[in-house]
Amino acid sequence: MYHKENQNMEISPYNTSKKKTHMKKLNHQNNNFIVQEASTIDMMHTSSSNNHQTSSDSSETCHHDQDGKWSSKLLKECAIAISNRDSSKIHHLLWMLNELSSPYGDIDQKLASYFLQALFSKATQSGQKCYKTLSSIAHKNHSFDSSRKLILKFQEVSPWTTFGHVASNGAILEALEGEKKLHIIDISNTLCTQWPTLLEALATRNDETPHLKLTIVVTNNISSVIVMKEVGQRMEKFARLMGVPFELNVISGLKHLRELTKERLGVQEDEAIALNCVGALRRVEVEERENLIQFFKSLNPRVVTFVEEEGDFISNDFVKCFEECLKFYTIYFDMLEESFAPTSNEKLMLERECSRSIVRVLACDHEFDDNDDDEDGGDDCEKREKGTQWFERLKNEFSPSGFSDDVVDDVKALLKRYQSGWSLIVPQGDDNQKGIYLKWKEEVVVWASTWKP
Amino acid sequence: MLKKMDEVEITNGNNFPQNPTTSASNNPPTLKRKRNLPGNPDPEAEVIALSPKTLMATNRFLCETCGKGFQRDQNLQLHRRGHNLPWKLKQRTNKEIKKRVYVCPEKSCVHHDPSRALGDLTGIKKHFCRKHGEKKWKCEKCSKRYAVQSDWKAHSKTCGTREYKCDCGTIFSRRDSFITHRAFCDALAEETARVSAASEINNSLLRGNIGNYNIMGTTTSLIPTNMMSNHFSSIFKPIATPPPDHHHHESINQTRGLSLWMNQNQTSHETMVTTNGNSNLHEIHQQQQQHDTSSRGLIYDNPNSNNYQLNWVFGNKFSSNCNQELITSTTTSLPLGNINVNIKDVTSQQISSPLYSSQHQIQSHQTSSANMSATALLQKAAQIGSASSDTSFLGSLGLKCSNNNNIGGNSGMHGTTSSLLISLANEEDHNTACDFTQMQPSKRRHVQSDENGGGHTRDFLGVGVQTICHPSSINGWI
Repeated sequence: MYHKENQNMEISPYNTSKKKTHMKKLNHQNNNFIVQEASTIDMMHTSSSNNHQTSSDSSETCHHDQDGKWSSKLLKECAIAISNRDSSKIHHLLWMLNELSSPYGDIDQKLASYFLQALFSKATQSGQKCYKTLSSIAHKNHSFDSSRKLILKFQEVSPWTTFGHVASNGAILEALEGEKKLHIIDISNTLCTQWPTLLEALATRNDETPHLKLTIVVTNNISSVIVMKEVGQRMEKFARLMGVPFELNVISGLKHLRELTKERLGVQEDEAIALNCVGALRRVEVEERENLIQFFKSLNPRVVTFVEEEGDFISNDFVKCFEECLKFYTIYFDMLEESFAPTSNEKLMLERECSRSIVRVLACDHEFDDNDDDEDGGDDCEKREKGTQWFERLKNEFSPSGFSDDVVDDVKALLKRYQSGWSLIVPQGDDNQKGIYLKWKEEVVVWASTWKP
Repeated sequence: MLKKMDEVEITNGNNFPQNPTTSASNNPPTLKRKRNLPGNPDPEAEVIALSPKTLMATNRFLCETCGKGFQRDQNLQLHRRGHNLPWKLKQRTNKEIKKRVYVCPEKSCVHHDPSRALGDLTGIKKHFCRKHGEKKWKCEKCSKRYAVQSDWKAHSKTCGTREYKCDCGTIFSRRDSFITHRAFCDALAEETARVSAASEINNSLLRGNIGNYNIMGTTTSLIPTNMMSNHFSSIFKPIATPPPDHHHHESINQTRGLSLWMNQNQTSHETMVTTNGNSNLHEIHQQQQQHDTSSRGLIYDNPNSNNYQLNWVFGNKFSSNCNQELITSTTTSLPLGNINVNIKDVTSQQISSPLYSSQHQIQSHQTSSANMSATALLQKAAQIGSASSDTSFLGSLGLKCSNNNNIGGNSGMHGTTSSLLISLANEEDHNTACDFTQMQPSKRRHVQSDENGGGHTRDFLGVGVQTICHPSSINGWI
C-alpha cells in the first residue's frame, strides 16, 4: 500500500543529515538522493520493504539543490491524502513533515513547517482555533515600533510593496492633477507607507498645493488601533512638515468592508476622490467581492488604483488551492530569503505572518465558520486571485486605464534601485490597459492596475 | 520706440511700473550696467516677442551670402570669413547693439508681459522649454524628466550621488526611502512639536538677527543659553517624576531660576568667562558625563556653585527680555542656523547651483549639530570662552558635533536659513537635491505661524528633549 504510487522522493542531503532517522534511505545514484517512501512508525521495524536502511551519511552531504524540492512533493502528497481522506497516509506524511521541517531552516524546511501546520489543522479540523491562536500571538507582539521597523525594512530590501505604491501614486497624481480638494480613500494595510512620497510630490510638484484628505480603512486586525493612531499622528506631522493642508481619518475596527458606507467614509460632493486598494480585497470573502466593488463605484471616484498579489486561492478544490498556495509562498519565501540577511529578524516576522495566512486559506473553511458567528474574525480570508480575475471583476464597474509612460518609467527606476531579480511586465497592445506586473525571477508576483469611472 | 521688423513684434518696453514717463532719466546709476534681476528688465530695452517656432529655431543667424543658418552669431561670423567678402561687407552692419529683452510667447505665462521679459535669448528659450515644453529628457536612475538637455545633463551628474541624512543620523542614498523614513522617524515626532512651540519666538529672534555678523554678540549668548536651558530642562525632566502638570511647573520655575541668575550677571564678565568658565564647565562636563542623574541632582541642589558660573558664561549678554524666550523656546537651532546662513550669505552671493547644494548640505550638517548633547555643548561653550573668533565657534560646532545626535535640528533651521538661500538660488531644477529640504521650510514657515504653542511648554519639557540627552531612549516621543 505504501509503494503503490511508486514515488521517488528526493531529499536534500543536508536536511536529512540532521535527522538521523532510520526511516529514510539515501541512495546515492547519480547525485540524486532518493527516499523510498517509508512506512509509518508502526511499520518502521518491519521489513516489509527491503529498502529500510539507516543512513545518515553526512559525508555524502553536499550542497546540491535538487530540481524538485522535497518539501513541495511531500506537502502535495499530504494534501492529496487529506483530500482523499487517506488517514494512514496522512499520518505518515504529517509525521515525516514534522521530522523534516523547521521554521528556522532553509526554504524547504520553512515551507514544510508552515504548511504542515495548515495541513495538520485541516486534517484535524482545528483551523479556526489555530488561526485564532496565531492571531492573538501576533497581536500581542505587534507594537508601532515593531510594525514600523518591519515594513520599512521590507520596503528597503524589496519592491514587493513599493511597486504598487509607486504605480498607484503616479496614477493618482496624474488623475487628480489640478484639483484643489483631494480625498484619497486608502484601503490597505501598509501602514500609510505609501503616502509620504505622495505628500512630498504634492508639495513640490504642484504650483499650488491642494488640500488632501486621507481616509484610511483598516481591516487587518493585527494593525491595532494603537498602531494606526501613531501612524496617523506621524502622517499629520509629516504633512505639516511638507506644508500640505492635510486631514486624516482612520476607520478601524471594521469587521467587514461591507460595513462601509459613504457617510462613514466622509465623502463629500466637492472632492476629487481617489480610491486606493492595496492588498485589501483579497481579505474579503469571495462572494462579497462583487458587491463591494459595486459599492466602490457608488463613491464615484475619479481614479481607482488596485494592487494585489498574484495567486489563485479561490478554487473549491482543496488540492488545487493547495498547490497554488504552495507555489505562491514558495516564491515569496524565496524572495524573502534573497532580499534579507540570513539572520534577519524582520524576515522571520514576515514569514510568521505568512503562516497565519496559510492556515487561514487552507484550514479555515466555511463549514467551520457557520458554527462560530460570534468569533468571526472579520475580513481575513486571504484568498488571492490573479490579476486577470480581478480584472474581470473590476471591469464590470470601472473602465480600465493604462499607466502612463511616465509612471512606468518611475516604476522602472524604482526597480533599478533594488537587487537584480526583479522585473516589470507591461502588457503591450490591447492588453495595455490590463495593468502591470511585478516579476520576481520567473514568476509574476504583484499586479497593479488603475481604473477610471 | 516702436519699430517694425520682419518676424518679430516689438512693443514699447517702457512698461516698467516704477517710471512710466521718465525713461530717459531712468538710466542705471552706475556707468557699468548692473545685471538686472531676472524678469525685471531694463526699461530702455527693446522688447522682442518671438513666436514659439522662431524661438526654438536652431539656426537663427543666417548668412546673407549663402543662406546657411547658425545657432550662434560667432559661428556665423566665422563662416562669413570663408566667403572672402570685400572689406566693407566684412564688417558687421554697425548697428548700435541695443539691449534686447524677450518675452515668453506663452500667453498664460508670467513672462509674457513685457515688464517681466527676460534679457537673454538662451534664457527665454530654456524657460519656454522648461515651463511650457515637453519633457523629452529622462534621467535613467530616478526617472526625473527634463525639457532642457543641459538641465538633464546637470542632474545626471549628481543623481544618486546625493545622500540624504535624516535627523536621526541615518543616511539614505535613495530619496524615496529617505522621505518615507522621515515621515516615520522618531526625530520628526519631537522635532515638529518643539519647532511649532518655538516658532513664533524664534521668528522674531531671527528677524532681529538677520545680517548680524557678530556672533559673539547677543545672538551667541542666546544660542547657548537657549540650548542650555533646553538641556537643563531635559536633564531635569527625568528627575522630576511627578505627573506632567506638576513637572511643568517645577521646570518652569527652575528655568526661571536660571534666567534670574543670568539676569543678575548682567555686567559683562568676559574675563570671568575665560578663566572660571572653563574650569567650571569642565567640572560640570565631567559630572554630566559620568552620571547624568546625579549631576542633575547636583544642579538642582547647588545652584550657587557650578551652575552659577555656568550661567555666567552664557548669561553675559543676557537681557531680561530673553527670559521669556529661555523658558518657552525650544529650538535653539534656529538662531544658530541663521547665523550660519548669514556667513554664507555674504561670502557666497554668487552661489552656483551645485555649490549651493553642497553648501546647503554642509550648512545642514553644521546647523543640525546645534541640537547636540549637553556635554558637547558645554565643550563648545568652553571654546567660546577661550577662542573668540567667530568662525571657530561655528567651525567647532559644525565640525565636532558631526557625530552627535542631530535630532530635530534640521527642519527647524531650514525653516529660516533655507528660505534665505532659496531667494539666492534661481534654478529649481539644479537644486533638485535640495528640493526636499527647501520645500519643507518655505512652506513650513507659513504653516508654523498657525500653530500656537498651546501646549508648548509641555512639549518643551516633555517631548523628545530627553532624546537629545539619551539618543537611545525609546520614549523620546510621547
